[in-house]
Amino acid sequence: MSEARLLAPKLSPTEKGFRLFFLAAAIVALGQMFLIALFLLNEAAGLLATAPLGDFLFSKDWYPTYEPPEFGALALIVGSVVVTIGSSLIATPVGLGLAIYLAFLAGRRKREWIKPAVELMAGVPSVVLGFIGLAVVAPFLQDVLDLPTGLNVLNASFILALMAIPSIASLGEDALAAVPRDVLDASYALGATRWETIWKVAIPAAMSGLSTAVILGLGRALGETLVVLMVAGGAAQIPTSIFDSVRPMTATLAAEMGETAIGSAHYHALFALGAVLFVLTLAFNLLAYWLGVRWRRG
Amino acid sequence: MVAGGPIIEARDVDFYYGAFHALKGVSLDVAAKETTALIGPSGCGKSTFLKLLNRMNDFVPGARLSGEIKVAGRSIYGSDSDPVSIRRLVGMVFQRPNPFPKSIYDNICYGPRLIGARKKADLDVLVEKALKAAALWDDVKDKLTKSALDLSGGQQQRVCIARALALSPEILLMDEPTSALDPIATAKVEEWIKEADLSIVIVTHNMQQAARVSEHTAFFYLGELVEFGPTMEIFTRPRERRTENYITGRFG
Ligand SMILES: Nc1ncnc2c1ncn2[C@@H]1O[C@H](COP(=O)(O)OP(=O)(O)OP(=O)(O)O)[C@@H](O)[C@H]1O
Ligand SMILES: [Mg+2]
Repeated sequence: MSEARLLAPKLSPTEKGFRLFFLAAAIVALGQMFLIALFLLNEAAGLLATAPLGDFLFSKDWYPTYEPPEFGALALIVGSVVVTIGSSLIATPVGLGLAIYLAFLAGRRKREWIKPAVELMAGVPSVVLGFIGLAVVAPFLQDVLDLPTGLNVLNASFILALMAIPSIASLGEDALAAVPRDVLDASYALGATRWETIWKVAIPAAMSGLSTAVILGLGRALGETLVVLMVAGGAAQIPTSIFDSVRPMTATLAAEMGETAIGSAHYHALFALGAVLFVLTLAFNLLAYWLGVRWRRG
Repeated sequence: MVAGGPIIEARDVDFYYGAFHALKGVSLDVAAKETTALIGPSGCGKSTFLKLLNRMNDFVPGARLSGEIKVAGRSIYGSDSDPVSIRRLVGMVFQRPNPFPKSIYDNICYGPRLIGARKKADLDVLVEKALKAAALWDDVKDKLTKSALDLSGGQQQRVCIARALALSPEILLMDEPTSALDPIATAKVEEWIKEADLSIVIVTHNMQQAARVSEHTAFFYLGELVEFGPTMEIFTRPRERRTENYITGRFG
């Protein structure tokens, strides 16, 4: 009997070249991620010389230009969290509702133009949406509710929701459309109505994709800068109602980065904010991943 | 209902997919508590006819029907008939096993829960009964909470049978239920069909299978019901030339 040999053929030089190229690409991508995180944390750590971590995270006094300055980020963190939650309360039901409508209720004709329209909506630049918040929503809120300013949590949540809805709806519809027709037929054949089939079969079967859609939509709201800079009002305070102004972390970074001296305490404080954002975004992505895995099987 | 009388009566059924005339003047009675096989070459309308019996063709845009179909004496396409309650009376098992991505237990309980069964004790009894009836209980009794998708194809198909049986239907429709199964799993499903105490309509491409499991056989050709009678007679002395050609493998 002859000796057993490997079945996989030897790689040709071209194939080896390709392999190297893709390996290099992977290393570059991972490496830059790693370097950015390292740089961010390193610059953020510079703040610890001026303010202890506890003060930074749990004090709500953000007075970076006072003498001595104060760098309490709590109000800014709360600002980000509040508008993200606010937008999720609007965008999740509307986005998922739209996804269900597109996947199961709209006739073929309606789908054919609504779906592209929704996808087009996702491409509207955030500055345009911010401008709508500024020019349309703010005066409307101010007049109708008789508020001192229409630039507040509600306005920011609403505009951020407008940004998140198309991506939630589009990704959600993809997830629902991927539920096999066979399985839906099985439900109908057992005497389920359309609603029962949607609720008890389609949504649970698509849960992994649906939860990913929601989390990714909200991750976008958390990281969005221009909109909150334009319509959240900019006051570094802990809001007591949805009609108060806030100053999310991203807005603070964008507004203050230009006027700080490199290496100053303020500069380090802004990097510390960036690090907090980074950690929160990472947590969101991990959550999306975990939910995706968790729901994959019944 | 008279014992041994028809449980399904189809009269002059014409069916169209849009402009396509898929069934032409089909009249056929299905005997209660017996098994009726539908055979014929691909595209002749077997699945179409089967799906008419539990109104699964309602979902096809542009589908049209004339004629009458009665189940247990009541017209199922009448203006006052409700597809949902018809489907509880007339269960269906599909060509490819299609369990829900849920546990075995939840698969079986799906139908009963739709009609309001909630008590754990009742459901436990139902699950055991349905799984035993589908000859699957011994295979899965220790892993009822496991996903049905982790079972073999044959076991999945029997979960689908058990799921349909959990509603205690009068009639079970089976569209090539063993075409995705290996010979052993096929034998188990056939065994089950022979023992089952309900009315079964089965579509099959396998002549031996039709001969083994059914009392009556209907031969369809190009949307027409060519010949219908006791399985023994259809297979040993068919009256129509087209039937004979088909069962002897001369075409189709
Ligand atoms: N949804 C549909 N729309 C239009 N035509 C259809 C549809 N479903 C089936 N048909 C057509 O109707 C005819 C009968 O189809 P049917 O599925 O009933 O055949 P069948 O006898 O079950 O065939 P097979 O043995 O291949 O399953 C075929 O010509 C098919 O192309
Ligand atoms: Mg068929």
